[in-house]
Amino acid sequence: MLGQAIWWSSIALESLLLFRGFRGRLASRYPAFYFYISFVLFQDVVCFAVARWTHSSDAYTSAYWTAEFLCVLVSCGIVFEIYRVGLAAFPGTARMARNLMGLVFVVVLIKLIVNIVKDPQWWTEASARGVEGTLRAIQGVAIVALIALFIFYSVPFGRNLRGILMGYGLFVCWSVFCLTLAPPTGRLHDILGVLYSALYPLFLVLWLVPLWSYQANAAPKRAIQLEQDYQRVAIATQRRLHEARSYVARAVGS
Amino acid sequence: MIGNPTALLLGSVLFLLLLLLARRGAAAREISSRSDVPLFDDEASLDPCPPEFVTRIFSSIDWDFVTCTKSRELQKLFRRERKLVALVWVHQTSRAIRRIMREHTEATRQSHDLHFATEIKLVAMYAELMLICGMLLLAIQSAGPQRVGGLAGYAQTLSQRLAQAQQDFKVVTTGRHFHRAGSA
Repeated sequence: MLGQAIWWSSIALESLLLFRGFRGRLASRYPAFYFYISFVLFQDVVCFAVARWTHSSDAYTSAYWTAEFLCVLVSCGIVFEIYRVGLAAFPGTARMARNLMGLVFVVVLIKLIVNIVKDPQWWTEASARGVEGTLRAIQGVAIVALIALFIFYSVPFGRNLRGILMGYGLFVCWSVFCLTLAPPTGRLHDILGVLYSALYPLFLVLWLVPLWSYQANAAPKRAIQLEQDYQRVAIATQRRLHEARSYVARAVGS
Repeated sequence: MIGNPTALLLGSVLFLLLLLLARRGAAAREISSRSDVPLFDDEASLDPCPPEFVTRIFSSIDWDFVTCTKSRELQKLFRRERKLVALVWVHQTSRAIRRIMREHTEATRQSHDLHFATEIKLVAMYAELMLICGMLLLAIQSAGPQRVGGLAGYAQTLSQRLAQAQQDFKVVTTGRHFHRAGSA
């Protein structure tokens, strides 16, 4: 009964989200996000059909996890879209983001290679849940790096992009908790499995409210002046920070 | 592939950052839409208080004078007031440091020729200063400004000794290197 309610509410909310997205021309501005929602809707319908007509738990499990794996790959586009739209007017922060994400992915890749070398059987023994948990964790690291830059550089957001980021960030956070902390079998596994699905309609509502209509991203009013090139600004900041350090040392050491 | 402690840490950091983002959203919008105040004011003063006043906050001269009066109430009052002044000074200083970095990020976020390595160095320097301010706050709260002054003096002497030792070590190793190169 609860499963049916989650299924039907998810399908209804996803359809409404897509309807509002196409009606408010949000889909053309955030194509990766709306493609993801369309894919999830398609996944829900296909899994529902498989569950209803095949009556085989194996067929359902393989359909579900195949679709879920594809869904995680499609959702990587959302992270790229947050970076692309959020930093379009901020090339300096975008460059920092590219370098930082590159660094993060190199570290993740090294860790992955080290783990595989230590345990070569991982690929054959890993469950679908474990693979999804790992992929969601990598997405989580990328989102953490992006949000840290957004906060540090005071990048302003429009309501729509903020909604996508907050909803997706919370969804990834919840996925990482549920998929990696759940034991392979047992009561906790079942409880977390139900909770993982049960909260999904809540994330859809979190998206639906800010994406009800289009609102432009706040553009920076002040364009950088030509004479304020990066080197000059950086040298001045470095000098001011050095002054601050010696000021503190002078005052405290007196 | 990903352990439980890593997953917990990652999930918690992500959740905290999302909360921070939600809280700072309105403030970020306000900063971006501010009027045309000069962004990068080189001459902006760091000193929130006059220098002669600042040098007295952590000094023991006033404390010595108050001790001479042998009045416990006066000593107590002095300690409380001086602690308050020291805390306000650290808060003002950390605010000034934050302002320096905010002005920098606002000026460079639109820059096309931003250097990643330079930015990382500046961020590290900023983080170090904020850490010092945090530690000062803790030290003032727990030990009082006079003792912090003493501790800072001790730390400064220690760091000078370490720097001298490092310099001596460098001279010795460079000498050895030259000696080997000469004999080869």
